[in-house]
Amino acid sequence: MSSDTQGAVGQSVLRREDEYLLRGQGRFVDDLPTPLNTLHLAFVLSPYAHARISEIDASEALALDGVVDVLTGADLAAMVKPIAAQIELPGYSFNTRDVLAADEVRFAGEAVAVVVAESQYLAEDGAELVQVDYEPLPVVTDIAEATDPAAPQVNPTVPGNVYFEGRFATEGVAAGFEAAAHVIAEDFNSNRVTAVPIEPRGCLAVPEQPANLVFYSSTQIHHLLRTALAEFLDVAESTLRVVVPDVGGGFGIKAALYPEEFVCAALALRLRRPVKWIQDRYGALLTDVHARDNHYRVEAAIDDDGIVLALRAEIRTNGGAYSALPFGCTLETTGGARMIVGPYRITEYEYTATAVATHTAPVLAYRGVAQPVCFMAIEGIMDRIARRLGLDPAEVRLRNMVPTAELPWTNIVGVRYDTGSFVESLELAMEMAGYDEFRASQAQGRLVDGKYRGIGICSFTEVSGTGAPGWRARGLTRLPGFDSGTVKVEPTGKVTAFVSHAHSGQGHFTTFAQVVADALGAQLEDVTVVEGDTAAGPYGTNTFASRSAVTGGGALIRASEKARLKLARIAAFMLESTPEDIVVSDGRMHVAGVPSRALSFQEVAETAYAMNTSDLPEGESFGVEETDFYDPPLVTMANATHIAQVAVDAADGTVDIEGYVVVHDCGRVINPMIVDGQVMGGVAQGIGEALMEEFVYDPDGGVRTATLMDYLLPSSVDVPNYQIAHIESPSIDTVGGFKGVGEGGLIGAVAALVNAVADALSDLGVNVNTKPLRPALLSRLIREAGG
Amino acid sequence: MNDEVRVTVTVNGRRREARVEPRRLLVDFLRHDLGLTGTHIGCEQGVCGACTVLLDGRTARSCLHFAVAVDGSDIRTVEDLASLDELHPIQEMFHRKHALQCGFCTPGFLLTTVELLERTAEPDEGAIREALMNNVCRCTGYANIVDAVAEAAVELRRRKPA
Repeated sequence: MSSDTQGAVGQSVLRREDEYLLRGQGRFVDDLPTPLNTLHLAFVLSPYAHARISEIDASEALALDGVVDVLTGADLAAMVKPIAAQIELPGYSFNTRDVLAADEVRFAGEAVAVVVAESQYLAEDGAELVQVDYEPLPVVTDIAEATDPAAPQVNPTVPGNVYFEGRFATEGVAAGFEAAAHVIAEDFNSNRVTAVPIEPRGCLAVPEQPANLVFYSSTQIHHLLRTALAEFLDVAESTLRVVVPDVGGGFGIKAALYPEEFVCAALALRLRRPVKWIQDRYGALLTDVHARDNHYRVEAAIDDDGIVLALRAEIRTNGGAYSALPFGCTLETTGGARMIVGPYRITEYEYTATAVATHTAPVLAYRGVAQPVCFMAIEGIMDRIARRLGLDPAEVRLRNMVPTAELPWTNIVGVRYDTGSFVESLELAMEMAGYDEFRASQAQGRLVDGKYRGIGICSFTEVSGTGAPGWRARGLTRLPGFDSGTVKVEPTGKVTAFVSHAHSGQGHFTTFAQVVADALGAQLEDVTVVEGDTAAGPYGTNTFASRSAVTGGGALIRASEKARLKLARIAAFMLESTPEDIVVSDGRMHVAGVPSRALSFQEVAETAYAMNTSDLPEGESFGVEETDFYDPPLVTMANATHIAQVAVDAADGTVDIEGYVVVHDCGRVINPMIVDGQVMGGVAQGIGEALMEEFVYDPDGGVRTATLMDYLLPSSVDVPNYQIAHIESPSIDTVGGFKGVGEGGLIGAVAALVNAVADALSDLGVNVNTKPLRPALLSRLIREAGG
Repeated sequence: MNDEVRVTVTVNGRRREARVEPRRLLVDFLRHDLGLTGTHIGCEQGVCGACTVLLDGRTARSCLHFAVAVDGSDIRTVEDLASLDELHPIQEMFHRKHALQCGFCTPGFLLTTVELLERTAEPDEGAIREALMNNVCRCTGYANIVDAVAEAAVELRRRKPA
């Protein structure tokens, strides 16, 4: 048996999700019809970063007509167990969080009470009337200050405010530094940012038979959420159904499990009424998980040719006040430590990686996780090597890269790069950017039209599609790696494909249909994709960390192949042939070499469902519904090069992006249009992270960036036109050859832009080692340098 | 409640009368009283533009207006753009150019584009970027939106009788 349908994968098929979204018919969680007796929640958020809760007086709120109840930490503690990330790393300080703070608040925005009311307006009225007496306590928000012996203790089970410290060293690091002709060292600092999907978070819990509770949530991880609800609410998992409606962007922050979800579900079960909670933007900025807020100290031992002989990294990440679920406060810590070696032949490596606790919002996943910062560091080191030795930065990279001929390559921390195009992507990006021409004409340090111009490169590896071994290596032993697919050929021959993912804008309904159409031999328009519902299809790890193409695609290919085999067995029986001789193509099956002896999917399916007079072959079961699972290898490594060209205004420090090139390699491309969309959206977020965005706490832990007027996002006038090209090096380690592409846009943009600005100002002697590179900072640096 | 007041507006060509609390936001009135959930709430701070509607022909942030304050107005929301059989040319170009991903901000961009193209038949790229700068999209990186608006302008000019 064979399939000669080859065609859907690789095509820029227009998206099927567009029309209903364009008509305003999207169903985001706040758009779902709610039963008339729905209750609404508003949380009372602490304005203090660290304080003892001495008294909560809810009498005025309770007196308000329409307010049903006000609950505090003690009330919720009786309904929800303290929630905790399960991390198994030596030295990790286990810590828990009450879903409502009971005695003490540990970051500004932590909820201390919840108001239950008949409408959203009334719930918010009630929240304003809840009187909370706080006794302010000493605060620490800064990474460096957190481990000062005099610093206040953030969490009783986290001694010295150190959540975790990991160490790794190969034997020859010291020898490498002794043998070095030069040592290049630099400190890199990263701003705290958060994803800001335009749809805030929300959930709707509806008690409904036969399940006890249908729970709609704007989550990226419906199966993990259901398991956690069961565990921490102590209810049978089988009585819960989690449904993900349309989600208005996630970017990782919706791959966390939040206190509000547990509170909403617990109250719906307790009050036996539907309960809804929709977050506002103030709450989103303060309580969505944050990201980055890292400090890197990197030292590279190099020889006279700029070859890195050994690398040392001292990484400190701010985990915030609690280790958030499900990935924990070590996500960025272990991530940066393991990923920093990138596409380079680093053979001696040592790291210390520390996660500290502070009185700030918990830090977890945001597009790129650690990689924007660790590549800002290693790519910043590559540029410093070039400047020290008088070499071109591109040349330094080329000398250190693992060439394609040496792939597969296992890096120093044990991650296998099966295929890739490190050198080729850099060379192509240089050609597209006119890199050599720019360098030849570059007027570094001299003003042209009042601007300093520079060019910056980021060549990097991009972790995607992580399997169970990859999570275990990072202490996430309770996080699976697999996803699942079920492919069902209906009696009419049409195909329904269930996959254990949940979309937040990626175009899954289109891309997964492309994958199934090819693997099954069906017509693309006959395949419908269903996802984001724990009642539809088996378990999976869900949608984060650039997983879906790799894990969902792999699972659907396997399930499709099983379904195709079954169709072929039945068709062979009906056509008096053998399954091996059946050719499947475009929703039809025929005997090889005899196109006239053919059956449609519908004719074969009718036999499978006993809807005609044909018999099934001996021993064949009814229906055509096949399931399979796919756990990818340790990680699936994509790669890319970004090159940014910038002009820094000498007078006001603003940065114009005058050119932007991306060469990306995500293996076999399912839908080039969608891949380009992922890349461009990521680059825009990277522009925000590099140049604009910063979540700022006052020294006392108060929040300075509580609105989108203070937390600046890139708009249409802040982003350039992007030049994008693809190299396809299909993975040889994954089913389907796919690699992920969700995060590279952001990762590459940060380092490319920081390096471009650094390049523009390098002749002034300005050292650029921090972000965001806002006008105020750059104009000060230029002024101080006498520029 | 007793202090509800009457509001009469025309929404998508249809006269709508209701009694609402004076503090009820226009966006909540549209979404939860009239069921027009295509208009979204992204910030309620007047920044993101997801709640953009046309108020008497001009873009307005429906999160910054009270429903009672727009009594007598003509309001147009995203639900009014397409016919049953056909998308509006602006919507069609957003589809063809992959100018939306999650689609949450998209209604605001569509109505901003309607206003732009009603005023400026042939906007250049700079004018398009300027017109869109008060709507935030976190998914697309804007380039495809800019392309879609430019293509929609061409299509609308083509359709317009000379």
